[in-house]
Amino acid sequence: MSLRRRTLLKVIVLGDSGVGKTSLMNQYVHKKFSQQYKATIGADFVTKELQIDDRLVTLQIWDTAGQERFQSLGVAFYRGADCCVLVYDVNVMKSFDTLENWHEEFLKQANPPDPRAFPFILLGNKIDIDGGNSRVVSEKKAKDWCASKGNIPYFETSAKEDYNVDAAFLCIAKAALANEHEQDIYFQGIPEAAVPENEQRGGCAC
Amino acid sequence: MLESELHDLSDDADYAASQQQGSASMMLGSDSAKQSSPRDGAEIVFQKDNVAIHPTQFASERISGRLKLIKQSSSLFMTWIPYKGHNSEARLSDKDRSLYTIRAVPFTDIRSIRRHNPALGWQYIIVVLSSGLAHPPLYFYSGGVKEFLATIKQHVLLVRSAEDANIFLVNDFQNTLQRTLSSLELPRAVPLACGPSDMSVDESILNENQERADNGVNSGSLSVTQFHGRPRHKAHDPARDLSIQVLEKFSLVTKFARETTSQLFGENHSNGFSANERRTHIQANLDHSKNSSNVVENTSEKSPVALDSHEFDNLSLIWGKPRQPPLGSEEWIIFLDSEGRVTDSEALRKRVFYGGLDHELRNEVWGLLLGYYPYESTYAEREFLKSVKKLEYENIKNQWQSISSAQAKRFTKFRERKGLIEKDVVRTDRSLAFYEGDDNPNINILRDILLTYSFYNFDLGYCQGMSDLLSPILFVMDDESEAFWCFVALMERLGPNFNRDQNGMHSQLFALSKLVELLDSPLHNYFKQRDCLNYFFCFRWILIQFKREFEYEKTMRLWEVLWTHYPSEHLHLYVCVAILKRYRGKIMGEVMDFDTLLKFINELSGHIDLDATLRDAEALCICAGENGAARIPPGTPPSLPVDDGSFYVQQDDEVL
Repeated sequence: MSLRRRTLLKVIVLGDSGVGKTSLMNQYVHKKFSQQYKATIGADFVTKELQIDDRLVTLQIWDTAGQERFQSLGVAFYRGADCCVLVYDVNVMKSFDTLENWHEEFLKQANPPDPRAFPFILLGNKIDIDGGNSRVVSEKKAKDWCASKGNIPYFETSAKEDYNVDAAFLCIAKAALANEHEQDIYFQGIPEAAVPENEQRGGCAC
Repeated sequence: MLESELHDLSDDADYAASQQQGSASMMLGSDSAKQSSPRDGAEIVFQKDNVAIHPTQFASERISGRLKLIKQSSSLFMTWIPYKGHNSEARLSDKDRSLYTIRAVPFTDIRSIRRHNPALGWQYIIVVLSSGLAHPPLYFYSGGVKEFLATIKQHVLLVRSAEDANIFLVNDFQNTLQRTLSSLELPRAVPLACGPSDMSVDESILNENQERADNGVNSGSLSVTQFHGRPRHKAHDPARDLSIQVLEKFSLVTKFARETTSQLFGENHSNGFSANERRTHIQANLDHSKNSSNVVENTSEKSPVALDSHEFDNLSLIWGKPRQPPLGSEEWIIFLDSEGRVTDSEALRKRVFYGGLDHELRNEVWGLLLGYYPYESTYAEREFLKSVKKLEYENIKNQWQSISSAQAKRFTKFRERKGLIEKDVVRTDRSLAFYEGDDNPNINILRDILLTYSFYNFDLGYCQGMSDLLSPILFVMDDESEAFWCFVALMERLGPNFNRDQNGMHSQLFALSKLVELLDSPLHNYFKQRDCLNYFFCFRWILIQFKREFEYEKTMRLWEVLWTHYPSEHLHLYVCVAILKRYRGKIMGEVMDFDTLLKFINELSGHIDLDATLRDAEALCICAGENGAARIPPGTPPSLPVDDGSFYVQQDDEVL
C-alpha cells in the first residue's frame, strides 16, 4: 500500500446554501476569493496535490448544492468518500442547527464501513463579517457539538480573508489519509484494534 | 407530414392513377424489351431540381443537383448530376461532386428504393442497388418523391415491400408476380471478370453533353459513362452491368460517406466494441434503419464490397436543417394579421426553431412561445391581459409585502425562504451589465419576483436554479409583472425539475438514458459498465436548461428554440444526446469514470457549439422518431404531468 506513488483522497464538503463551501474550496485550491460565485447546481470538484509527511496525495474536494431539496443526489456523489467537511456560517443560526441533519444524511447516504470512525471536520466560516459583531454561534457552542460527535476537529475560517483555510484543509487531508489507511487495513481483514483510533484523531492536533 | 402518408402511398391519387398506367406499361415494357432497339431516342420522363445529398454532418455542406429519369427504349435510367457553382463551400471540391454523381444507373441494377418521411425536414430516398450497395440519401428539397415513385412505377415493376410500406422493390418478379424469370435473378456475386468491353455505350441516352451544358459539371476522372450497358443486355443478365469501375466508385462513395457520417457519431472503430454490439445498435428499433438494414442484409453476403448494416445505418442518417438567421422585425410582421394575431402559430414556431429571434423581438414573442399570451390574441387583447395581470401580480406580491416584522419573526418558513432567495439573487449573473454593481435595482426585482412566485406556488416554493431561469426572462421582458407571468408559464413546464422528491429530474435523466441506449448503444454500454447510468453528470444541463453551459445570448437563443416545442417538446434531451455524442470518442477513449466524466461535462461549459449541437439534436430527434418518443415516459417535463393530484408533494419535514 505504501508503495503507491499517489493517493487519491475524496473529500465531501457539505452545509447549507450560502455558507461559503465553494469559496472555501476556491480559496484553498486557487487562492482566490470572489463575491460572485454562482450557487452550485448539481456537483463539482476541485483537486489539489499536497505532500503529507513522505506521501504525495491528491485531494479531490467535492462541492455540492446546499439546498436540502438536492440531498437525494448525494448517493451518487458521496460514495467512496474519505472525509466529510461540514461548513456553517457563524452568523446564521440555522446553518448551525442543520449540521445535525447534514451529518446524519451523509452517513446514511455514503454508508461508510464504520460510521462512528468516519472522519468529519467542522468549519465555522465567515468570521470576518462585521468584525465578528454579527456572529450568532459561539465558538464554545460549536466545540460542544463537535465533542458530542466524537471529537470532530473544529476550525474557524474566513474564505474571504484566507484565514485558517490552509490549516483546516491540511487537517482534512490528514484525517482522510488516516481514514484511507484504516480502510485499507479494514479490507485486508486485519482487526480494527490494530489501528489506535485515538491517535488518529489526535493527529490533527487542532 | 401527415401520419397516414407515412405508410400508405395508395391514398395518393397521383400514385393510384399511375399504378394502373404503370402495370400496363410494364407489360408493354416487358414485351418491347425482347425486341429492344437500343438506338431508340432517349426521353426524359421525370426531372426534379434541388435534389441534394449531404456529404458530411454539416447540413450547410449540401450538394444540390438535378435528378432525372431517362427512358430509352424499354429501359429506365436514373441520373443525378450536381450543379456546379451552387455550393460555395470550399470544402466541397469538384472531385467530391463528381464522386457523388449518379450517371445513368439502369433500374435493372436497382433492388429497392427506401422512402423516408421525416416528421419535419425534407423527404429523402435511399436507392439500394442489387449489389447491396446504396447511394447516399437523396434529399428532395423541392418535394416530388411521390411523383418520382409514380413515374418509376409507370416504367418498371415497382411494388411495396410486404414488411415495410416505405420500401419499394424494383423488378421483384419472384416475390410479387410469382414469376420465375431466371434471367432476372439477382447476382450471387458480382462477376468482376465481366468487363465493360462487351457493352456498347450510347452517350446520347445520357444526354451527357447537355447535362454538362446545363450545369457546367465537369465529368471528371471518375466518369463512368462507359458502363451503361444496353437495355437488351440488362434484361438478360443484370449482373453484368455492374462493372468493376462502378463498384470502385461506390466503394469510394460509401467509404467517404462512412467516414463523414462517423464524424457525427464520433465512431471510433478501434474502441473495442464488437460488430455485434453495433448490430444491436442498428436493431434498436430505429425504424428506418431496422427495415432498411434488413434489405441490405439480404444481399450483403453476395457482394464483396457490400455495405454492412452499420454503414447503412449511418448512410440513412439525416442531418438537421441548416440554421437560419434569427427572425427579424420585418419578417415577424408577416406572421401577424392586421390586429396582431399570429395566423399560423406552427409556421412561427418552425421559423423560431430554425433561427431564433432577433433580440429586440424577444420581448414581444417570448410571451407567446411560453403560452402566456395566446397566439390568437390581438394587440389590444394582449395589452388588456397585460394590465389585468399586472394587478393580479401586485395582489400576490402584496401578500408577502404586508407581512410585518413581528409577523415574520413568527413565520420561520417565510424568513428562510426569503433568506435563501436573497442569497441566490446576489449571485445570479452579476457579471452581466443588467445585474452588476452594488444596489442594482434589478437584483431586487429578481428577489421580489421569486418571492412572489413562492407565494403564487407555495407548495413548490423556491428552489436553487430558479433564479437562473428567471434572470434572462427579466432581462428580456424588462417589466416586473410581465417577467413574473412569463416565469410562471415557464415553470408550468419546468416546475417539476424542482420537486422536493426530484421526480421531474429523475424522469428526465431516465428518459435520457433510454435515448442514449437507442441512439448510441456503445456509449450506453460504456456508461453501464462504468456505473454512470444515473446520468447525474447531466443534472445541471437539465435542471436549468443549459443556462450555465452557454454564454447569455446563446442561452436565450437555445431557450426560445426549445420553447417552440417544434420537433419535440423533449428536444432538450436530444440536445443532451447530441453533446454526449460529440464527445463520445473522448469519453470512451480516455476511459472516464464517473468523477472524471462529471468534471469533464462541467468543464464543457462555454465550449459547446450551439448551432452544431442543435442541428445534431434535430437530426437525432428525427432519427429516433416514434421510437424516441416511446422512450420518454408520459409526464416527463416539460410535458404536463399525467396526474395533477400528486404533482407537488408537500413534505412536512422540510420548510423551504
